[in-house]
Amino acid sequence: MASEDEVSLLVIVLDVNPIWWGQQTQREPEFNLSKCLDAVMVMANSHLIMTRTNKLAIIASTCQESHFLFPNKLWKGDDVGGDDSAAPCGDGKYELLSVANDQVAEEMRALIARTEVRGNQTDTLLAGGLAKALCYIHRLSKQSGGGQDMKSRILVIKSAQDCALQYMNFMNVIFAAQKQSVLIDACVLDSDSGLLQQACDITGGMYLKIPQRVALTQYLLWVFLPDSEQRSQLVLPPPAHVDYRAACFCHRNLIEIGYVCSVCLSIFCNFSPICTTCETAFKIQLPQLVKAKKKKIKPAT
Amino acid sequence: MDDEPERAKRWEGGYERTWEVLKEDESGSLKATVEDILFQTKRKRVIESHGQVRLGMMRHMFVVVDTSRTMDDHDLKPNRLTSTLKLLEFFVDEYFDQNPISQIGFITTKNKRADKLTELAGNPKKHINALKKTKDTTCLGEPSLYNAMNLAMQTLKHMPGHTSREVLIIMSSLTTCDPANIYELIKTLKELKIRVSVIGLSAEVRVCTFITRETGGTYNVILDESHFRELLMSHVKPPPASCSSECSLIRMGFPQHIISSMTDQDAKPSFSMAHLETTEGGAELSLGGYYCPQCRAKYTELPVECKVCGLTLVSAPHLARSFHHLFPLDAFQENPREEHTGDRFCQACQGELKDQSVFTCPVCRSAFCVECDLFIHDTLHCCPACIHNQGAS
Repeated sequence: MASEDEVSLLVIVLDVNPIWWGQQTQREPEFNLSKCLDAVMVMANSHLIMTRTNKLAIIASTCQESHFLFPNKLWKGDDVGGDDSAAPCGDGKYELLSVANDQVAEEMRALIARTEVRGNQTDTLLAGGLAKALCYIHRLSKQSGGGQDMKSRILVIKSAQDCALQYMNFMNVIFAAQKQSVLIDACVLDSDSGLLQQACDITGGMYLKIPQRVALTQYLLWVFLPDSEQRSQLVLPPPAHVDYRAACFCHRNLIEIGYVCSVCLSIFCNFSPICTTCETAFKIQLPQLVKAKKKKIKPAT
Repeated sequence: MDDEPERAKRWEGGYERTWEVLKEDESGSLKATVEDILFQTKRKRVIESHGQVRLGMMRHMFVVVDTSRTMDDHDLKPNRLTSTLKLLEFFVDEYFDQNPISQIGFITTKNKRADKLTELAGNPKKHINALKKTKDTTCLGEPSLYNAMNLAMQTLKHMPGHTSREVLIIMSSLTTCDPANIYELIKTLKELKIRVSVIGLSAEVRVCTFITRETGGTYNVILDESHFRELLMSHVKPPPASCSSECSLIRMGFPQHIISSMTDQDAKPSFSMAHLETTEGGAELSLGGYYCPQCRAKYTELPVECKVCGLTLVSAPHLARSFHHLFPLDAFQENPREEHTGDRFCQACQGELKDQSVFTCPVCRSAFCVECDLFIHDTLHCCPACIHNQGAS
């Protein structure tokens, strides 16, 4: 059990891509966005009641923005009792849980209502959600000061496919998380994501592609609820094989041996005299010409 | 003599009246001044925007540590040598974090001689172990700048032209004992395009000023330990490349990580090629690892240069780590909080904007608090709000 001094912060980044979720509801009506949100709230509530000092944040990422579902801007933090605007919950539930559930539901409704789907933006802006999560973690760790040990982790629930344009931002976020010792766990609902596999490998988190989406609650509680110290005592799904090969800039093929420009670090599969990204002309190494040695003719004695 | 730029020394300018910085308000409290000073220390980061200057990304750096008699002095706690070595361990970590495909080597100089502590290598653990062992050496004699720079030059002159060759000297003594004319050596260093920088621990020494000016490096003398740390950290960022450094395409390999378990029929435990040279213990048999795509030699860690075929092996994230140097984030504009008309909350962390100034990104016009601004520029290297607008384009 974690001691009272340790604060464990869990940030859940939920991929709410309207296009993917719309198609998903048509494919499989038993698992739609509200079921997914129920599963996430079960896990969030479990996290909050594990230890009194545990903290939570939930961010939803759509195609245009990333928005904090919990805590929202007006929530003052720990004075849960003095919150007059919330209707007192009659069933004796821990007040923090009812506040969390209500806020998430309200913010989610507002988010979906104001999201407009435009034809050219179909990819989820997951890197933006992760960047906001890291800034939030940074602020809370500064606020708690030196007195309390803060361990943070981010859980990403991903539905739609990877967006190749976000590669650089994603890598920046991953390295920032590694520097801040923040674990990134990934729970993938549909297709494998190379970027998230790299993120989990570099930061030391768990990557899991869910075989049966209807059982999302079980997977969340089994694999992703325990924190990093408890994970060493459990038998968890084995790590995925991460493909760290680079993709060449000209054909987007994965290559094993390539040529790297020393100025801009772009990767090419074939030697070319000019780098297409930074337009530097390269010096070509010519083989050294060996001069034929003249043989000295020995004078006949 | 040579025309040196005339700089007025600090002691020539008379004393500044440092007590005039503090101003009291009408109730006699210094709170406003103290807050101001705290705010300024947070913002003390100097942003040198190089703009479109080519940077030397692959660096070969030698660090020369002076272990002469003066390093036993107690003005840095517990003594100069221990303090320097501790800061150098931190420097090695930061250096490999910001420049993953570069190499570093260490040289010590004492008793009028110079010795190589570690060879040029890309693996931080070896250097940190060597630095830890050096804590016990006795400091005696005089350092020799000539021997140290000569030793560094012997290795650096064989390095390929597209890398940046650097030497960082940590000099605590005020004297040096050289077997030959150091000005000749400086000429050779200039021809070989080796950049020498010096961090002085005692006082300014004229020959160091000359060396750094001729080779294009920087010379600073420390004020205290935190200043020492700052000066060391300023050498972590890649320097602008000199105009004559060649640009070439470097052939590199990207090996796959093979994880095999004991149940695999073909998996046989084997040694990593990197352990063949180590005489001390720690060479372990391992089942999986990285196999060089050219010669199939096995290694346990990247980045490494294959000992068998000479191919540099890296993984794609290593190159990605350096991308933020190539595409640096612009500095945010600082506005006083009273003038800010938008939302009361920081766009990144959702905290209330309580500080004196509000920082706005010039591209997307979102507001951030001072903590987020520092975090974004030092660690994150991308604006969280601009990412959302990228999707819109």
